[in-house]
Amino acid sequence: MSSTLPENQVLAVRDLSVRFYTYAGVVHAVSQAYLDVFERETVALVGETGCGKSVFTKAITGLIDPPGRIETGQALFRKRDGTIVDLIKLSPEEIREIRGNEIAYIFQDPSSSLDPLYTAGDHIAETILEHRPITKDEAYQEAVQLLRDVLIPNPEVRVKNYPHELSGGMRQRVVIATAIANKPKLLIADEPTTNLDVTVQAQILDLLRGLKEKYKMSLLLITHNLGVVAETADRVYVMYGGRIAETADVNTIFEAPMHPYTQLLLRAVPNPLKRIERLESIPGTVPNLIDMKPGCPFAPRCPFAMEICRKEDPPRIDLGNGHVVHCWLHAKR
Amino acid sequence: MNPIYRFGSWLIDKYAGLREKISPGWLEKNRSKLVETKLSVYVFTSSRIGLTGLALVIITLFLAIFGPFIAWEPYDVYPILNKPELAGKLPHPPCFGNCEGLPMFGTDQYGRDVLSLVVRGFRIALVMSIIIVVTSSLIGILIGLVSGYFGGLVDEILMRFTDMMLAFPGLILAIAFSLTLRLSLRDFLMANPTATSIVASIFALNPKDAPNLANLLSVFLALILVWWPPYARVVRGSVLSVKEQGFIEAAKALGLSTWKILTRHIFPNIMSPLLVMVTFDFATATLSSAALSFLGLGPQPPVPDLGLIISQAGQYFPERSWWIVIEAGTALLLISLGWNLVGDALRDVFDPKTRRSIELKAKIEVRK
Amino acid sequence: MGLGSYLLRRLLTFLPSVIGALLITYLIAYVIPTDPVRAWVGEKLMDPSTLDKLKKEYKFDAPWYEQFAFLIEKLLSGTLIDPIRGTPVVQQVAQRFPITVELAIFGMLFTVAIGIPLGIVAAAKKDSVIDFFVRIFALFGSSIPAFVLYYFLILAFYVYVRASLLAGVPFYSLSCAARLDSIRDTVPVLGYLVWAVGQVPIFGAPMCGEFSVVSETVVRMWLPGLALGLLSGGFIARIVRNSLLDAFTSESILFAKARGLTNQRIWRHALKNAFAPIVTILGLDFAGLLTGAIIAETVFNIPGMGLYMYQGITRLNFPIIIAGTFLFSIIYIVMNLIVDLIYALIDPRVRY
Repeated sequence: MSSTLPENQVLAVRDLSVRFYTYAGVVHAVSQAYLDVFERETVALVGETGCGKSVFTKAITGLIDPPGRIETGQALFRKRDGTIVDLIKLSPEEIREIRGNEIAYIFQDPSSSLDPLYTAGDHIAETILEHRPITKDEAYQEAVQLLRDVLIPNPEVRVKNYPHELSGGMRQRVVIATAIANKPKLLIADEPTTNLDVTVQAQILDLLRGLKEKYKMSLLLITHNLGVVAETADRVYVMYGGRIAETADVNTIFEAPMHPYTQLLLRAVPNPLKRIERLESIPGTVPNLIDMKPGCPFAPRCPFAMEICRKEDPPRIDLGNGHVVHCWLHAKR
Repeated sequence: MNPIYRFGSWLIDKYAGLREKISPGWLEKNRSKLVETKLSVYVFTSSRIGLTGLALVIITLFLAIFGPFIAWEPYDVYPILNKPELAGKLPHPPCFGNCEGLPMFGTDQYGRDVLSLVVRGFRIALVMSIIIVVTSSLIGILIGLVSGYFGGLVDEILMRFTDMMLAFPGLILAIAFSLTLRLSLRDFLMANPTATSIVASIFALNPKDAPNLANLLSVFLALILVWWPPYARVVRGSVLSVKEQGFIEAAKALGLSTWKILTRHIFPNIMSPLLVMVTFDFATATLSSAALSFLGLGPQPPVPDLGLIISQAGQYFPERSWWIVIEAGTALLLISLGWNLVGDALRDVFDPKTRRSIELKAKIEVRK
Repeated sequence: MGLGSYLLRRLLTFLPSVIGALLITYLIAYVIPTDPVRAWVGEKLMDPSTLDKLKKEYKFDAPWYEQFAFLIEKLLSGTLIDPIRGTPVVQQVAQRFPITVELAIFGMLFTVAIGIPLGIVAAAKKDSVIDFFVRIFALFGSSIPAFVLYYFLILAFYVYVRASLLAGVPFYSLSCAARLDSIRDTVPVLGYLVWAVGQVPIFGAPMCGEFSVVSETVVRMWLPGLALGLLSGGFIARIVRNSLLDAFTSESILFAKARGLTNQRIWRHALKNAFAPIVTILGLDFAGLLTGAIIAETVFNIPGMGLYMYQGITRLNFPIIIAGTFLFSIIYIVMNLIVDLIYALIDPRVRY
């Protein structure tokens, strides 16, 4: 593992493993995961519920609490001033300074992210004041401007509203405004549209795209919705059972997926233009991550599973052009 | 798998077998429900608090049922009347050696064996609390179900009334009601000897003692009047949240009758919070009726009501009656503690968060 | 603002509650007893002429609306007469109510002093021995009969260790009372407030510089206060613990952490959210202390409203019971109103 980043790379995560020590056993939430994010790009992290996507990104930003523990890994990040730091190795105070400032994180449910006893303006101003030495009045003025940027009508009025006075879509916009308040380099969005209805979803995605351009941010989007991936992502990482299964740019993933899981995932999304008789699904359920043994986590559900898949961890196969797959099918004997 | 769970599991299996014999195919239809129940039993039996509480409750129930038969002294006989020479020595403290025939655990001011009285007192305390809680919960559940299910004007009226009752301090109202009901009840009982003997046998008391029975009745009628509003509120809330989940509308769309909807769909969903509430209320009702007796609103001597015994002991406190307060007080403590512990464990059983962590460790199945 | 309209709406439910209180009092006074005269007058034998006079005076033979009107007038004007003392019930109430308030304050102090720290520690050290102990403490607190606990505390701290008093309640001097009265009469609004607060001896005495009253009151009241605190402390501790844990594991705290807020700021968010329900419970606890004082006052021999009610009960003094029921009901309703208002102040969601 190196300790430098190319000029245009914002984040490089290598070999990240996170374990949770519970009394039901040791949960291998994330195993040897990796990720690259470059400037101005949108990276999608795709997978089913429970595959470890959220734990992965929380580990990068230091939001993992006991009984969780980061066992190994390196997360190189280029700060605004150009220095490169390993997020995993930072002290709690150092990473706190980066959170909300250089790396922002927004969650799935805006209604539970916002504190019901604080107004929209309070949230934004608080985040600003925590990281920048300006006055309270200036912070509130910026808050109004930010609300305007996220396309909330009447921002001067809305800034004083409490969360329960705002609709779901507006709440998510407030959350986004809070996140971009300090013009972060990287915005991590964990299922930002799942709790919203479809029309609002589209608006929020457009908004994120616009903000990305305006603030020159990179976007790491966690989602299980392939439609959103197709619309917004530049590159895609597919996760399963806590491991990266495959990664490629968005076109390759959709046109030439190599990992059986990716293939099945794509087949499960019905094409509205094609007439089909049955909905396809992937048989089986989410893998048990407790006390995991070596072997491919997808083996129990994989239609192409071989003996070796159940016994040994699949190797990393580089197919060129940034397309990497972890599967025994593509290994050279 | 601890033995108590194994016993509970065996009971459930036997019950399932029986139902299966009566109507074949029942087991398959209800398999998941049975597994759920077994899981609940497992979670409960893995809690030390729950098991301790259960043990106490069983002891309480045993003493309540058999107490009057086990008790070795009658409660309505005052030894002091037969042996006036004891006058200066009463109440007599416990003595475990040679006490000239006086009881081992001390006497009260009339010379009666305190422990025997306390054993009898379990019956009164338990029957009171059960009747109070069961009656008031039934009233409250009914009102809550009707109010929540039908909504509209019925809901408004019933809830206004319930809120009005809830706006008052319970103990005060109970005291006032109890006082005013007494006289009416006394007249009623005097006029109806059958009613009197029924009440007397339930509480294991002397049927000729109508005034005291009237006092007893007045205490628990007063408490019932004050006790039902919280049930109405809780049940109505549960019904409303069940309604919100939409499957009531589905049931209505399928044409299910109101009664079926209420019993098959709504009631099972509100059972768990109700069960917890009722269990805790047994404890509270025991203490409340003891408190009313302590204040003199309940039966008077010679009735072995635990609250009364303690209040009588108050005059001689502490040198000459500390054992009475300990014995009767411990009895009340054990009764309430038993219910409270069980209720606490039950609350954990039904709380999805605590259940999850225990569920992961258990592997439950239903055998034929 | 939303708060103002909420206040208005809440006050609208206040009036029906008061009417409800009057109704229930009426039911107790006239309807439920089969022979109200016997109930009011006591079980003494009376000659027919006095009986008749009483019947007319208390309107026992009048139609129900006249009786109701009579009751309202008597209660609200405070002219209900105590047949034994011959004076208006209101006189005794005015003297005794501040004492009950004092007792409730002491009880609250101990409840908070025991409950809140225990709750915070239990939340911080979740699932530890302390957490378990708090749970057991709460269970015992709600299982032990109050009067039994009182007797044992008396045994420990009065009989064996003379650390408290069990008779009389220290009051400020008459000159002090006069001074407070004059403040009420001369200074508008604020003066009335000062006078009201000053009615409670432990506040009134220091206002006149009579500090010995304070120390005497403490010696007198600490034991019952401790008793009340032990009874409710465990319950409060559990509420505090659960409330804190809920607040700290909530998504909004996660978001706060994700925004890079300092621990101090995060604590402020969590505490504010946690304390809204705690404040409500404490307020209701105080209301409970005020209205549940009967047993404590009886055992500890404190001459407050509760003991007055108890005397009314044992001597079957109906006017006292009626007035007491009504008064306690009003107190309870007012306390609930105050608690709701405080909650609306803290949590903006409630204002709708």
